[in-house]
Amino acid sequence: MTEQKTKSKILKSSLKVKNLIGRHYLAIEQAYRDGSPTAWATSGTSVEMFYTFNVQPILPENAATISAAQKVSKGYIESAEDLGFSYDLCSYFKTNVGAMVNNAPLDLGGIRPPTFMVAADVICDTHVKWFQTQSKRYNNIPLYIIDVPHVTSNTTNKQKEYYRTYVEEQMLELLDWISELINKEYDEEKSKEVISNSYELSEYWIKIFELRKKIPCPVSTKDTFGGLFPLFTMPGLKSPIRVFKNMYEETKERVDNGIGALENEQFRLLFEGIPFWYNLKFFSVLERWGAIIVFEPYTYAFGKFLDPTMTKDYIINNPIKAMSKVMLNIWYVYDLETRVKEFKRVIKEWSIDGVILHNNLSCRPNACGMYDLKQRLMDEEGIPSLVIDSDMNDPRKMNEEQLKNQLESFMEILQKNKKR
Amino acid sequence: MASKIGYVDPSYNTPEELIIAAGFIPYRIFGDPTLDLVDADKYVPPNHCFWARNCLQRGINGLDNEIKGIIITHACDCSNREYDIWYHHVPYDFYYYLNAPLKRGEISLKFFINDLKELRSRLEERFGVEITDEKISEAIKLTNEIRKGLKSISEYRNKGVLLGSEFHAIVKNVQTSEKRDILTNIKDKLNKLENNESLPHIDIGKKKVLLTGSVLDDTDLLIYLENLGFQIVIDDLCLGTRYFHNLIEETGNPIRDIATYHLKKPIYSTEYPSLGRFDFLKELAKRYQVQGVIYIVQKFCEPLLYDYPFIRDSFKEIGMPFIFLEKEYKRESYKNMTTRLEAFQEIL
Repeated sequence: MTEQKTKSKILKSSLKVKNLIGRHYLAIEQAYRDGSPTAWATSGTSVEMFYTFNVQPILPENAATISAAQKVSKGYIESAEDLGFSYDLCSYFKTNVGAMVNNAPLDLGGIRPPTFMVAADVICDTHVKWFQTQSKRYNNIPLYIIDVPHVTSNTTNKQKEYYRTYVEEQMLELLDWISELINKEYDEEKSKEVISNSYELSEYWIKIFELRKKIPCPVSTKDTFGGLFPLFTMPGLKSPIRVFKNMYEETKERVDNGIGALENEQFRLLFEGIPFWYNLKFFSVLERWGAIIVFEPYTYAFGKFLDPTMTKDYIINNPIKAMSKVMLNIWYVYDLETRVKEFKRVIKEWSIDGVILHNNLSCRPNACGMYDLKQRLMDEEGIPSLVIDSDMNDPRKMNEEQLKNQLESFMEILQKNKKR
Repeated sequence: MASKIGYVDPSYNTPEELIIAAGFIPYRIFGDPTLDLVDADKYVPPNHCFWARNCLQRGINGLDNEIKGIIITHACDCSNREYDIWYHHVPYDFYYYLNAPLKRGEISLKFFINDLKELRSRLEERFGVEITDEKISEAIKLTNEIRKGLKSISEYRNKGVLLGSEFHAIVKNVQTSEKRDILTNIKDKLNKLENNESLPHIDIGKKKVLLTGSVLDDTDLLIYLENLGFQIVIDDLCLGTRYFHNLIEETGNPIRDIATYHLKKPIYSTEYPSLGRFDFLKELAKRYQVQGVIYIVQKFCEPLLYDYPFIRDSFKEIGMPFIFLEKEYKRESYKNMTTRLEAFQEIL
């Protein structure tokens, strides 16, 4: 196959995400210096409520990705394994354990014990085990667990309703719990402002994704993988909205001028799963064949308010109910039937030529069902799909040569398909 | 023979009483360590729980004809996600995912009651039966009788009369058979034990141990341990003590009683706060004066792997010998543990 040398162009405004990350870590440092409350949260947990209480949120998963990007996650993971945590456990978890054991600095994914922790099994039960372990290891840090029921292929609307009530009741209990712990009342007016900001941030994110439907695609993973950071850590603040607005406007400008992120776009791909943070150059390898990833369910999922019934008015007037709904409906862990249905929709709307599914050895909930998904996309939509085995944070589990060979064969299939 | 409802439960939170009240035999689906996972591996990646994939393979191979429906109960990420794989590849007209709560407390209790009520409605609708409170209460009486019987029989393991493997086989039978028949068998067995009809047959040289770990459902594993010189006098398994340790209180509100029972019984690694599990293990180890603890985890069983360093360190702190073994769910893997187990047996 002929290879091209051009690389995808990052949006200028995406470079500002780095400033946001810096701002986030400064805020964390400031909170520790001032003795203000800090809280760890697992992804999928509503960070908005922390901002309502003026509690500084910290997401250990994001810190772990920084360790990987800085190529130090392997050492931290091995430190955790030395303590007895299995080779087969989540690499984010082990990076977090190892980073703390080694007193890692902030810019290498370092993280400190917080005032309290909130974990939810929205995405996995692992999150609960992770925070329980760390709470215990650091003198029983107060920990609240939000138990989120699992929606399956045959869950009815009636069930979803009492599932939602269960989550909402816990969220209300959590507000009281935090209030008592930090001796501060929950401010409903502030909550409206925070959730409104969160909505606005999501709105820009979703609008950027809508523009990615255009051919050529204006935005690559260089923008979306980085853009994920504020969605996780800063929903509720004003500053990321400005950056996302600029990103949207720049994307729109590219679309209006027919400019793609990648010159000579040949193939449009969907990438399912968490990327390998220690080896993001993998995605540049795809570009050599003129392939660009135009949709990632993982990054799209954290746009949160994807359900069209979640209007701005609705979430402002029902913030807790809205967050409860969001927690039950996260794309990253959709039931198999919904997952297949949504993938088919995206394939049509985003004009996808091929699907790459990352069987992430650290994330069993996302990996389970992937083989069925692949088969059904191939059988029912005729879309070439490839499952690759690797890990989001543990470079020991990536076989780069094998991966390149797999991709090369996959690209050949895509090319043959295109010629037909 | 009466029809059955099969259930997959990596912990123990499935309400057998509701199934009995619906007129079915609750049939717990176990793995079969002699199977090759040819089909299961087509649907689930090979680094997912060995035991859960084995159960799936059994389902794909075809279960007992008397099984009319499947319940899968939340315990871990495997049960959550593999439900859909069962649902799509093991055809049954009745499927229910029971969202047993991960944590305890009033809010979770209320939710669990709602989910149990929904299960009752679904069973009623699908099979055209009426599951009255009276029928559930009757089933509770029956299973409580069985629990009491098992608890009494269990004690004979520590008296050198009953082998751990024999007891394991009894509990396994209880979880797959018609409960009224099984109660008669339990009473007969207890009668024999009480009247000294079973003679002590455990060698003095055997080391008294507590067995704990993932779902350990292969009785041959216990026989293997006994052949290496261990006497399993107590356990905290879902195929053992956790199954009968508590009784369901009978307050006249049977669904609430079942939910309360499950949220109050000894906690397991799949629930929160699972580290509380150590207190129960310590209490058992002390009460039965064991010489050591054997902790066997199925390969890729995440909940237990997370808890392992804490459990290990906690036993170390109280000076209790402890061995951790991780194994694949197939018989050939047992021999890989022999050297370490022999060494452990010698140091006790």
